[in-house]
Amino acid sequence: MYYKFSGFTQRLAGAWASDAYSPQGLKPVVSTEAPPIIFATPTKLASESTVYDYAGKNKVPELQRFFQSDGVPIHLKRGLPDQMLYRTTMALTLGGTLYCLVALYMASQPRNK
Amino acid sequence: MTHQMHAYHMVNPSPWPLTGALSALLMTSGLIMWFHFNSLMLLILGLATNTLTMYQWWRDIIREGTFQGHHTPIVQKGLRYGMILFIISEVFFFAGFFWAFYHSSLAPTPELGGCWPPTGIYPLNPMEVPLLNTSVLLASGVSITWAHHSLLEGNRKQMLQALSITIMLGIYFTLLQMSEYFETSFTISDSVYGSTFFMATGFHGLHVIIGSTFLTICFFRQLKFHFTSNHHFGFEAAAWYWHFVDVVWLFLYVSIYWWGS
Repeated sequence: MYYKFSGFTQRLAGAWASDAYSPQGLKPVVSTEAPPIIFATPTKLASESTVYDYAGKNKVPELQRFFQSDGVPIHLKRGLPDQMLYRTTMALTLGGTLYCLVALYMASQPRNK
Repeated sequence: MTHQMHAYHMVNPSPWPLTGALSALLMTSGLIMWFHFNSLMLLILGLATNTLTMYQWWRDIIREGTFQGHHTPIVQKGLRYGMILFIISEVFFFAGFFWAFYHSSLAPTPELGGCWPPTGIYPLNPMEVPLLNTSVLLASGVSITWAHHSLLEGNRKQMLQALSITIMLGIYFTLLQMSEYFETSFTISDSVYGSTFFMATGFHGLHVIIGSTFLTICFFRQLKFHFTSNHHFGFEAAAWYWHFVDVVWLFLYVSIYWWGS
């Protein structure tokens, strides 16, 4: 049985005898170096831990500092984008309610056949 | 600056309960305007304001919990009670549809031919796609448990993998069910069989979509590092909801698809 080092699983895997003629160490394709040890990526909020770039950095600690209480209600904390969304929602809701009351008033009028 | 002397959460005044209640008004009266007066405007307004309310309300909860730290253990306990009670209320919602199904199917009237399925109704074969659907949801129950354990162990990559498998299985179920809806030889207006079938499976399908959406949000939150290995109630709530959806399907499959065929 011949073996090669699988860069994918980081373990020995079976190989054909022919692989002995192209030893891995000479080929740049498969890295035989151990990759940097990845500790079970911190899902704990520890800002001093190594940042593992898995779809971006952990921005939670920074957001935790940003969202501290300062009198501004939570739904407006981010400032302009929050305000715009709030105003749009409120406008559509209140406008819609008025439209609804008018529509219901009209619907309740008898239709003269 | 005053600090509170208790571990409870005194929520900031919020406009979302008001907009939520009004959006419910707009949705219901929108349905009336659509059914009776052929106008979609009010319904669309209702759906839009409902979506906006839900987005902002839950966004604020994430801000309060994850960013401001208001979700102390005792607050979390309250949230757990809340979610359990909500799921219980949903159980009762489905109980109504199962009651209707059993009421009509245990003693079929002469108008139906005195038999169940009624004369002229050809049900779907329970051993075909419905059985596949059952296995899909059961598998998703396994994958979500895997995701949870990965999260508890701090294994970020595996958690994301398992959660994405769960979501994909949920989407697969929805697509299969949609194709089955086109395959039925009966419609919702085909006797009480059609009514009970489509009301029960239809609402179930809606809950699968809601559950899949909840899981997707958990996926993005996990990407953004919101969950820690010992504090991830949002994910647990989604997992409970997902298991509930799975159990409802099992009841549906056994009662309507299998026994009822």
